[in-house]
Amino acid sequence: MMPLPKLSRMVVANTLRSRRHFILSAFGIVIGIATFVLFLASTEQVGAVLEKIFPVDQVQVVAPRASLAGLDVTKKLDDSIVKTILARPEVKSALPRMALSFPAAGRGDFEGNDLKFEVGGFADGIDPSFIKEDHDPRTAELFKDWDSDPSDTQHRVACQAAPPSPDGEIIQSPRPRPRNYKPPEPKAVPPGVPGMPVVAPEPEYFNPCPDPDRYYCDDTDHMCHHRVPIVMSPTMIELYNGQFAKSHGLPVADADFVKFVTQRGGLSAMRFSIGLGSTTIAGSNTSIRARPRRVEGVLVGLSQKAMPIGMTVPIQYIERWNREYLGAEAATTYSSIIVTLKDKTQIAPFAQWLQDTQDLRLEDSLGEKFATVLFVVRLVLVLISLIIIGISAINIAHNFFMQVTERRRELGLLRAIGATQRDVQLVVLGEAGLIGLSGGVLGVGFGILMAKGVDYMSNHYLPRFPYKPETWFHFSWWIWTGGLVCAAGFAVLGGFLPARRASKMEPAQALTQN
Amino acid sequence: MRLRDVTKAYGTGAAKAQVLRGVSFDIDKGELIALVGQSGSGKSTLLNIIGGLDRPDTGEVEVMGTDTQKASDATLAELRNRKMGFVFQAFNLLDHLNVLQNVTLPASFSHHTKHAEVDDRGREALRKVGLSDFAHRKPGELSGGQKQRVAIARALFGSPELLLCDEPTGNLDSDTGREVIDFFRELNAKDGVTLLIVTHERRISSVAKRVIAMRDGMLVETTDEALAVVGNGGPHA
Repeated sequence: MMPLPKLSRMVVANTLRSRRHFILSAFGIVIGIATFVLFLASTEQVGAVLEKIFPVDQVQVVAPRASLAGLDVTKKLDDSIVKTILARPEVKSALPRMALSFPAAGRGDFEGNDLKFEVGGFADGIDPSFIKEDHDPRTAELFKDWDSDPSDTQHRVACQAAPPSPDGEIIQSPRPRPRNYKPPEPKAVPPGVPGMPVVAPEPEYFNPCPDPDRYYCDDTDHMCHHRVPIVMSPTMIELYNGQFAKSHGLPVADADFVKFVTQRGGLSAMRFSIGLGSTTIAGSNTSIRARPRRVEGVLVGLSQKAMPIGMTVPIQYIERWNREYLGAEAATTYSSIIVTLKDKTQIAPFAQWLQDTQDLRLEDSLGEKFATVLFVVRLVLVLISLIIIGISAINIAHNFFMQVTERRRELGLLRAIGATQRDVQLVVLGEAGLIGLSGGVLGVGFGILMAKGVDYMSNHYLPRFPYKPETWFHFSWWIWTGGLVCAAGFAVLGGFLPARRASKMEPAQALTQN
Repeated sequence: MRLRDVTKAYGTGAAKAQVLRGVSFDIDKGELIALVGQSGSGKSTLLNIIGGLDRPDTGEVEVMGTDTQKASDATLAELRNRKMGFVFQAFNLLDHLNVLQNVTLPASFSHHTKHAEVDDRGREALRKVGLSDFAHRKPGELSGGQKQRVAIARALFGSPELLLCDEPTGNLDSDTGREVIDFFRELNAKDGVTLLIVTHERRISSVAKRVIAMRDGMLVETTDEALAVVGNGGPHA
């Protein structure tokens, strides 16, 4: 076989000599590879967005609702069920969720707006280790049960709690005392009336805790506590951006949550009050065991692990609150169990086992259905592009058959000056491969250009909607590498028979024929 | 070089044409031989068989110690690359390469030629044929005689022991043809290169040390008879 550098030089020289032949052969490859990478990159991106909305590697185990003579006899999801599930060989992890099962209401301040919202029914708890899987160190550091953290005891100092609101409403989270704060001067009441008594105004209550950006004074034990860390689902942000912000004239939240929070003065800007046992809903008749009280929460990050509509806190808080307001039963009953399987293909047997032996079922997963649809769509699109590339390979074969016939004398000459049959075959295959590779590079470039065009159109002309991505394409390394390999591979395949014919050509005849 | 009872036929059945009918002869090192004969007499076929570009149906062909009947494709290719040179009537230069690249083309298939010395050897071959100043011209810019000299330089690039020439002056005018013939004679005399030249050209026959004539696929051994064959036909007769 001829030396590789010499083969490469000859292949390059032969390929570059005929622009017409190059364009004719490479055109189909360029189009085929452009569609190939474009389709793959778009389905990859859509898949990534879908996976954000519906994590497909996890399933949610729930107990089917059941009642008997008006009594709720739904199977209880507790630690024993979690252990049983964990013992299954196909299960990688099982983490329970616990819903806040009694009324609670929230009050916060956002962009100067007094926001009141219902928390009961829209909050649950998960184990902090579940959030660690997100690999967001900032959120992972803050999302924990601060009240049972022994390293946090030095912050738990005595304080005077905020006085209750005279109208009985949950108060806003008190602000820290400003550095240059001056108490208001005593004034005559009513002002400007001589002879009336001078009265000092009611002093404003400030957060008295040493680190007021993170701690608040609890009105039950009169001690400073770290605010309850809360994570929210990106779905909430998308809903806020898509509907709420627009209708209320509020700013659109940045996808980069840390940036968004920093712009608003840091973590403490995301704090709000939670009135446990309070509600904004008139006529609520839930019986609770404890009197309403106020705690403070702080939004520490976004996580796909949070409940889609609502807020999620470390499960230990929910357990304590459920025990305090509803009793031990509520503190040991989970709303669902998030199960991660070792292999996605084990979903069906696992679901069957749940139903047959545990009387439990998997929550209907839209994600799985979408993933299936996406898989089929991707398959169809890839098939279409492979057909285009296949046709271009046939085109290459046709062009090279013509080339081999036109270049009979040249190929015969190569044999006469020392080329073996294999050398001739390699030269022709190399030319086909180079055309394929060049077509592949141009095709990938063309595909990326088209993607940029689509993104430009999308960003400028498509209205915003939940989960609208910045780009519709994700060009993973394997996509463009696959595109190049596919281009070169199909081209070599197309060049195979012509190369074989060229190598089998009788040099003596080739040299004498016109 | 030794040929014994070499036969070759093309086609099958009624269309079968027997081109060589038991050809036998020897050629010693340093000979300059003219292979003459009418069109279709089998001289080009014989040249191709000697050069390993074609294989005989029967018989023995031994070229520089290699039995071309039994040799592998790779062995024959190396023999052509290192010990033989071909010169064709139609020059067979590659138009997309310049003169120097055409001359050094055999180096593409050689494992023995160092990259650094390829151009120097190519220029040396061009100097031998008097085309030192034409290294970067394209074949399309050359005259017929210059093209044939480039083809000869390409054949000489590997310093061959045997030069096989098929109608080398066939496409040249008489003056240019004479120059080429003189060059061959000089090459044979000075460098000791063995030359086997298929030709209709009487002038070549006159400078050849031996003339082998062919008629209907068989040899007419003697020089006198051979010259008579040349005289009976051929465009330059």
